Amino acid sequence: MNIKKIYLTLMVMCFIGVWSVPGIAVDQIEDPTEDSVRNIAKALRCAVCQNQSVYESNSDLAKDMLAVIRTKVAAGEKEAAIRDYFFQRYGDYVYLEPTVRGGNWLLWAGPFIALLIGAIALLSALKKWRQPESQPSESLPSDKNAFQDRLKNELEKVDV
Amino acid sequence: MKNLWKVVLLSVVVIILGLFALGLGNDPRNIPSPLVGRPASPFTAPALDEGPPITLESFRGRWVLVNFWGSWCGSCVREHAYLMELARMTAGRDDFIMIGVDFKDTREGARQFLANLGDPGYRQVFDPEQKVAIDWGVYGAPETYLVDPAGIIRHKHVGPLYPGWFEQVALPLMGKKP
Repeated sequence: MNIKKIYLTLMVMCFIGVWSVPGIAVDQIEDPTEDSVRNIAKALRCAVCQNQSVYESNSDLAKDMLAVIRTKVAAGEKEAAIRDYFFQRYGDYVYLEPTVRGGNWLLWAGPFIALLIGAIALLSALKKWRQPESQPSESLPSDKNAFQDRLKNELEKVDV
Repeated sequence: MKNLWKVVLLSVVVIILGLFALGLGNDPRNIPSPLVGRPASPFTAPALDEGPPITLESFRGRWVLVNFWGSWCGSCVREHAYLMELARMTAGRDDFIMIGVDFKDTREGARQFLANLGDPGYRQVFDPEQKVAIDWGVYGAPETYLVDPAGIIRHKHVGPLYPGWFEQVALPLMGKKP
């Protein structure tokens, strides 16, 4: 078997792999409440992980939190109420996106404040950079005068 | 003007570095509980000894120490000797009671744990799906809550209780609200 043949076989195998994957995923029919469960769980931080949502984490606590969410969704509780249930127990930490209240507004406004400060700094720097250009043009007439004065003086010294 | 910007820039850098240094000192496990000062979630849950279910409200009128643990938890082994001592020490008090919540565990594992390290003698809730634990905002084990006679959570301790904890933390709280 030459290299080309091996290469071709590999390519074909890859294509078969690519096409067969969606088939597996499509076969599963999702519970209609799962959408709501996912919405809630994706916005909640798994309490024992630093930066993973309850929906994505494989930790036991996250799985059990997911189970609690499923039971509550199945019982017909509102999404906001379920979110609040976890907030009441785990505090600000449980939201992956911090709420805009208390000192948290600083987290949201901070970048924009920094951008504003940066813009002001850039403007003032630009102003400063442009100033040296205008200075020589102002001093040109005086240079010209000095030159003319000198020329006059020199001419006066010379007897024609 | 030039100096002003230098000062502003330097102070911003210093503030950021300062916050960073403070953050490094934080224990990621020690997250402030929003539950302190709020009513404890009521529960009626199965007992580890398969006796009658345990109801939190039945302890109303007394201070309740609720200790969350599991036989899978290493720090709980370290903590256990103090829990045994605390149970012995407070056995005579009629204003204080201890209960345990064994969560995310098997009955077999928990019984083995108590057989090996000793049974402190107080009642144990069995919570394999950590329903009570999540309802109480528990992150891991061991975690301990002190609930006052009116059912309000007065203190949460993350990590193992240590010798002297009762005198240093619990008694002053109990003195304030008898």
